[in-house]
Amino acid sequence: MHFARSWRQQSSNLRLVGSRCASCDAIFFPERIRCTGCGSSELKDYRLSGRGTISTVTRVFEAPRGFESQVPYFAALVELEEGPIICAMLTDVDQEDVSVGKKVSMVTRRILAHGDDGPIIYAYKFTPELEG
Amino acid sequence: MVDRIEIVGIGRTCAKERWTRGLVDLAVEAAGAALDDGGGVSPSAVIVSNALGGALGDQQNLGTFTASHIGLGKVETHSVSSDEASGGAALRLASALVGAGMHEAVLVVGAEKTSDALPDELESVRANGLDATREAGFGFGPAVASGLGMQRYVAQHGIDRSLFYHLASTAHLHGARNPFAFLPWELSFDQYIHSPVLADPLTVCDLAPNCDGGAAVLIRKGSERSSSSVNILGSASVSAPTGISEPIISLSLGAAAHCATLALRDAGLSIGDLSFLDLHDSSSFIAALSIEAVGLAKPGEALLLAKDGHFRFDGPAPLWTFGGLKARGNAPGADGLYQVVEATLQLRGDAGKSQIDGADRAFVQCLGSFGATAVAHVLG
Repeated sequence: MHFARSWRQQSSNLRLVGSRCASCDAIFFPERIRCTGCGSSELKDYRLSGRGTISTVTRVFEAPRGFESQVPYFAALVELEEGPIICAMLTDVDQEDVSVGKKVSMVTRRILAHGDDGPIIYAYKFTPELEG
Repeated sequence: MVDRIEIVGIGRTCAKERWTRGLVDLAVEAAGAALDDGGGVSPSAVIVSNALGGALGDQQNLGTFTASHIGLGKVETHSVSSDEASGGAALRLASALVGAGMHEAVLVVGAEKTSDALPDELESVRANGLDATREAGFGFGPAVASGLGMQRYVAQHGIDRSLFYHLASTAHLHGARNPFAFLPWELSFDQYIHSPVLADPLTVCDLAPNCDGGAAVLIRKGSERSSSSVNILGSASVSAPTGISEPIISLSLGAAAHCATLALRDAGLSIGDLSFLDLHDSSSFIAALSIEAVGLAKPGEALLLAKDGHFRFDGPAPLWTFGGLKARGNAPGADGLYQVVEATLQLRGDAGKSQIDGADRAFVQCLGSFGATAVAHVLG
């Protein structure tokens, strides 16, 4: 992930800001410039709750460049309360906490670092919600 | 298809790690073989497909450089990039140029050079075929996506993950007969079940190996059909919303299914008319969904049919007769054209040990970006 790209995506990466169509109320994450449902270009920023459930999850043992230090990690599809499905790593989690249907919520964590002197990219990961 | 498009020349390189060949060399080697096979037909346009070269720091504008290096001066050139569907997309565009009467003959070339890159660099670049920002940028590559898919496929259909072995073993059974294959050996159950896990439950043996390769097809506007000619009887290309979640959650490939329907309709044929097929098998998961998308199996039944030998060379619906991506090897920008070259060999009766008896109708489909791009051709 390039530094400029990460800067451009601060609000979505750090606050889970997506888009809501002013015409048909469709909610998107990541943000959209044009509604893929009705074609409207009147979309407003919309901050998602950050709560969702695990739709499916895998444990990754071989990662693309930049993610090696986090291996093994859990990669999941998380269905957010508002509907969008998001690709995200799980964090602060044990194997027994990981199951389909498990409620999770967003936290901000380091995603990757570009070498010892490069920028560190922070963004969303998800962690199981506390019981009760 | 409005006008008949005839395949007059084909060429391919070994799908191996070709240390002495660069990206342009692979394109030129395949292109030269197709021209040599083309009976003197001279193309006035060249379209070259490639998926990764630019991102791996290799040659860009490959269409023009390939034409130059094979000595074709003053021809129209284009470069096409649609992830692993690049080769099919290039052939479809070339067919449109010929069909529209803009060119009498067009040379279509696919090439990929993966072995210069380190594995983690390659995996990183391959991941950008998915959503570069929201998937690749968060540690999701093709292996992770297929691992997630296999998890869901196994859970939803209530099957054991070891059943995926039968897809890979079918491809390897056929690849073992192909001297141009990257992994020309049969795959035992023991090898499969004990191979390293990449993204649980996906293992090394569930993922097509990256390789170097080039494949080329010379086409022209068809004359009266002779018994020996091979023609494009129909084709289609369809895209779907991007993102790995839709295929994984729905356990289906909408673009592939629609594309197959359109291509077969274009050819005036049904799935039962086909002698053999080649479908996209970049992973066991994608292979299973591809089989189900074109209607060869009901949802959740692809693995069971594979176990029963349904897709073997001697079965009712032979698949991957030269090994598919799994055994022949995955050279992403050339995948779609390897399919067409191999299908043409079958239809000519020149497939050697891979020959399917009486082969006269073929269907090939390649997919890009985890099924968001689909391109299909019907040959005969």
